[in-house]
Parts: sequence; structure tokens; C-alpha cells
Amino acid sequence: MPICNSCKGKTFIRDDITNNLACSTCGRLQEYDNLVDQYGGINGPTGTFVSVGTTGSGNVYSYKETKIYEARKLIDDVSLRLGFSPSESDDVKRMVATITEGEYGQGNWFNVFVGACSYVGMRRDNKSLPISEVASVIGSDAYELGRMIMRVVNFLDLKKPNFPEFDIVNLFERTLRNSHSFADVEGDKVQRMKKQGIFLIHCAMKWFLTTGRRPLPIVAAVLVLVAELNGISIRIEELAKEIHAVVHTSKLRYRELLQALVKVAQALPWGKDITVKNVVKNAPFVIQYMERKAMSKLSKKKDSEGGVGLDLGDVVRDCLRKDIGDGTDMMSFEDDSETEMEKLKLAHQSRYFEAEDGGCALSVDNVDKLKLSHECLSMMYSKFLDEVGNVKSSGGLKEVRERKKRRGFELHACTEWWNGKSALSRRLLLKEILEKDVGLDVVPPSFVNGCVTVKKRREKINAAKLRIDKIMHPLNAHSGDSIDTCTSEDVHTTKKRKRARGIDWEDLIIETLLLHRVKEEEIEKGWYNVLLELHVFNSGIV
Amino acid sequence: MAEQGLEGSQPVDLKKHPSGIVPTLQNIVSTVNLDCKLDLKAIALQARNAEYNPKRFAAVIMRIREPKTTALIFASGKMVCTGAKSEQQSKLAARKYARIIQKLGFPAQFKDFKIQNIVGSCDVKFPIRLEGLAYSHGAFSSYEPELFPGLIYRMKQPKIVLLIFVSGKIVLTGAKVRGETYEAFENIYPVLTEFRKNQQ
Repeated sequence: MPICNSCKGKTFIRDDITNNLACSTCGRLQEYDNLVDQYGGINGPTGTFVSVGTTGSGNVYSYKETKIYEARKLIDDVSLRLGFSPSESDDVKRMVATITEGEYGQGNWFNVFVGACSYVGMRRDNKSLPISEVASVIGSDAYELGRMIMRVVNFLDLKKPNFPEFDIVNLFERTLRNSHSFADVEGDKVQRMKKQGIFLIHCAMKWFLTTGRRPLPIVAAVLVLVAELNGISIRIEELAKEIHAVVHTSKLRYRELLQALVKVAQALPWGKDITVKNVVKNAPFVIQYMERKAMSKLSKKKDSEGGVGLDLGDVVRDCLRKDIGDGTDMMSFEDDSETEMEKLKLAHQSRYFEAEDGGCALSVDNVDKLKLSHECLSMMYSKFLDEVGNVKSSGGLKEVRERKKRRGFELHACTEWWNGKSALSRRLLLKEILEKDVGLDVVPPSFVNGCVTVKKRREKINAAKLRIDKIMHPLNAHSGDSIDTCTSEDVHTTKKRKRARGIDWEDLIIETLLLHRVKEEEIEKGWYNVLLELHVFNSGIV
Repeated sequence: MAEQGLEGSQPVDLKKHPSGIVPTLQNIVSTVNLDCKLDLKAIALQARNAEYNPKRFAAVIMRIREPKTTALIFASGKMVCTGAKSEQQSKLAARKYARIIQKLGFPAQFKDFKIQNIVGSCDVKFPIRLEGLAYSHGAFSSYEPELFPGLIYRMKQPKIVLLIFVSGKIVLTGAKVRGETYEAFENIYPVLTEFRKNQQ
């Protein structure tokens, strides 16, 4: 028998509104869980019937139907947020239904599963949708989503060509199309940016900047560079955040891209003056040079045929061209053209006037042979200076200066250097990209780092051998030798913390391994733990 | 046995390793059945270098210094030994763990010792075009730069998984005997040379 929580009374009446019990003495409404025995016989109050799976009045859905309804709603929601068309959304629903055999699902895993199906569906149709974007929409980790994607791919047994590899060019185009940062840019400019971006992406592929790396940061880097070249001001941090790329990695890729352009720029007559800091200003020349190189047919035949593939004279002339007629000026990207001209003059006097031979080999067929005679360069440069002088005297430069009020590039300056006729500006297969010559052929950064590390270890091994030799044969050791000759040199640690004079843990391990007669080639690999286990701490092995 | 362990210091046998490169074994995983029920809490309380957190993982994690290995000891008496650099070291380590359990008062035996996985690695010393390899060996390869920087190559015979990186570094895993690792590498080496990037 229930008792009133307030007055301990034992008589209750049922409240008409809430249908709960109320104390007849004090009137207090009893707690919801203050359960009462069934009273009043078969005609007594029946209470509220609570049933799982009941929604609304008159509609009784089963658990399964509710689950499927919720799942479909979730798929619609995810599709909407990813900007899918209705047909794409239907594809996702079909895929989910196929895999779950019409059961769909509930819970956190189902969100990830829907995200994975969305990604796989888009990828199957060769539409690049970055994993990071899907992960951010479904609120999941990219790795968790990646695992689910692989499961979906394996379950559906998707293989090439039904499941094409990730296309970074597609991703670039998609990002350029969808990014808010470029929403206000005119159509023709976007088209030009697209071509320039594809060209640079292909170059990055050729230079191993994309291999084994996440595609989004390099896309962000290329977009920022292309935007800068087209006079659009955008910060890499903002763009990276918008497209869900890691900001730090995007900056790193941007720097790597600039470094590669600097290397290409070395082929230009003033290439020595180009650094990472000023390469963006010189990028039109560099890209124009790359474009011309890519359009030349010299890539494979250059040595065998000795044909004339590229006329550097043309490239330089084009780079330095001053079209007086329509008043455009390639120098217009500089803030102060007079100062710049003074600089160029100085460079001209100091470097390009050192005539060594009388030959004027304007036409070359190889990057290695691009070293023009100084006299030839000075001729071209003098011509350029004369032309500039003419414009200056005729007031042309004044016009240019008047026109150039703001910092950055002018649109016509951008159109001038870019013709976009190179095949690299269009979609190409990897094989075709690799066949093109863009004036630079490099190895991957990770490979370079590996070589540097091996070289460093080799130095340490040599230093350790010297130290051991000094101790084992003290009489042979020269009295004048300082400790410095016996420690490895920090050649490659310019930016790293300078080590105190002496030896570190690595030197000691190398010494130990050498004393245990481990091959130097093995030590060079740097797997010290394995070598120590096999050659030093192998006491238990008989 | 010692010869196998010291293979690194021997000249490379070109008949066995035509590429001239011998993958270095980095990790051996083995299992053994101690054939008795174990009180993990008692083991964790008595043994040194043992940790046991049943909320986190239902096994005692025990480590020894020589050979430098880690063992997972389960209440069922099954044990997994990881971290050894050679098969002999793995077996020796497993025996040492079994002895420790015996000394703690359990009637541990040493049954069904088996090497479950061998992980090896090597460097081919040239850069590899992963995109090209993924394209032409699509049936065996999975290259998803968004998820993992390397190319995952699932070799059918021997059944080995290789992780191939652009820098030329290779990881081979899934072998039960070291010969499988060597064979897999010798199989893949000519393929890799097809996609090598010539250095300047």
C-alpha cells in the first residue's frame, strides 16, 4: 500500500490532468515512480500504457522501421552537408542497403559507415572527395573513417578501373570550384587559375611532392601560389582550415613548391639571384620557362638527335619583353620599377658583362647546355634596357606607374606570361607527365633526407674508427691531433641544436658495434637496436 | 644458430640474395602454451617487470632485458612473446618467461612454441614511383596517400605484406619463417627496379 511522501496518508485520489495519484489528505501529487498496486478490480484505473516503438497517435512503427527511417534521415543529412545531388544520395542509400542487407544500422559506427559509403560512391564515379572533409561532416577521425572505407571497398570487391585511384587534379578542381575564398573571382580568371594550378600540380607530381603525401596540403599550397600569381590575396592558414588540410603541412608544401621553383629558376640568366623569398615575384618567368620546356620535344631525344628543342633566347626575350604598344609592362609587378631597374643594371654590370668567349649560342637543346655565353646574355639584356629606356623617355613607364597603384600583380600581367598551351595544363596520365621536361628532375625529399642521414652516419663511423685507433695505437696517434678530428662533424646540423664538443649516444653505440666487428654497411643503415641485440647482447644464444 | 643470428656480419650470399640486399629482421612474434591456468594478479604482485591492469588489457605484460622482449601472459596459460630480433632469441625469451612463471609456483610447461610473425625491413637505395607501381600492380597493391604514405603490396606467394615507401625503404611482414621474407623481397626487387627513379 503506498504512503504519501508528505503526510504519510494512505488515501489517494487520481489527478484528472496528469492521471497521477494525489494524496486525499494533503493534496500532494505523488512521484511518478511511486507505484501503486492494482486496485479497483478489473474496472479500476489502468494507468498509462507505455510501449517501445510507438510514435505519435495511431502510428505504431516497429523497431526495424524506425531504425531504417532514422538511418535514411542520417544519410540524407550527410549527403546534404557534403553537397551531394539526389542521385548521388540515392547511390549512397543503395550502397548502405546492399552492404547491410537492408538492415541499415544505428549508433556511432553507422555515421562512420555512411561517411565511408559516401566517399566510396564519389570515388567510384571519379569525383574527388577528400576523406578529411567527410570526416569533419560525420564528426569522426580520418583514420577510423579510412579503416571503414577499406572495409567497404573490400566488401564490394572494388578494383580498378571501377575504383580509380585518388585523383589530385580532380581534387584541385573541386577545391577551386567550391572554396569560398574564390567565390568572388571572375570566371575567366578562375579558368586561368585552374590551368595554372593543374600545370603546377603536374609539376609537383613530377617532383615527388605528392607521392606518399596527403593531397590536401599540396592542393592548398598550389592554390595559394596560383592565387598570388593572379593578384588574389589569400592566407594559406585560412585556405587550409577551410579545406580541412593541416596548416603546418600546407605551409611546408608551399615552401617545398617554392624551393622547387627556385631550382628551376637557376636556368634563367638571373637565376642566381632568385631565392625562396623572391621566387613568387619571378614565378611568371619561371613558369613560362617551364611551360616552354614542357612544350619542347626534347625530353627523350635530346642527346641522341642533338636537335634544337628549346630556344633559350626566346624564353629570355619573352621574359624580358616589353610590349610598348599596349602599354603593358612585365616589370609592372614590382613596386618600384626604377629601383628594380637599378638593381638589374647592377647585376648586369657585375655578372653578365664578363664576356668569356665570342660565341652566341642562343639555341640549346639541353638544360645542362643552357649556359649561354655572357656576351650573348649581355646583348639581350642591353636590348631589354634600351627598350625600357625608350619607354621611360616616352612616358610609357609613367603610365605604368600610374596604373600600378596597388601592390601585387595586375591581371594583364598574369595573362601576358601565361599562355596555357602546354599539355601539362590539361589532364594527363602519369606516364605522360613523367615524359615531360619542366627544367627540373629531382628525387623525393624523404630519399634526400635518407641519403643525408646515411652520410652523417658514415662520418660518425669514420670518427669512431679514428677514436678507437687512437686508443688502440696511441703511439701512432699524432700529438697535434685535437679531439675535434675524432668527433663527427656537424655538417648537416646547421639549423639544429649545436652539439657540445664531444660524443653523443650514437657515437658510443657505433663504437660498441665497431668493437664487436659489425659490418660498417650494417651500421650505416642505422638499425642500432637490432645490431645491439644480435651482436652485443646475444649472450643467451648458443 | 649463432651463424643465423650473426648473418649481418657475413658476406651476402648472392645465390640466396641475388639483389645483394638482405632484409633485416626487426621483430619476431611467437606464441607458446604454458598449459596451466594462471592467477594474473598473483603474478603481477610477485614478479618484477610485470604490469597488470585488467580494465585496460586482460593479460600481464612482462618484460625482460636479455633478450630484450615483451610477453603478454594470459590467464588461460597462453603467452605471446614479442620484440625479439631472431627466432632463437624469441624462443630463448619465451623459455625465460616460462621459467619465471614456474618460479612463481605455477606448473608451467613449454608446449606448442610457434613463430607467428616475422617483420623485416630493408632499403633498396633508390626512390620508387608509387603511383606507377600501384597502377600496374593494381591487383596486389593498395596506395591511398590520404590514409597511409606507403604502398601496401599483398604478395600471394609467399603470402607476405610489403609496405613500400617512396624513399626506397621497404617493410615486409607476415612471414612464419625468415626464408619467406627473403623470398618475398627477391620477388619484389625486380618490380621495384622497374619503377625506380633514376638519381641525378
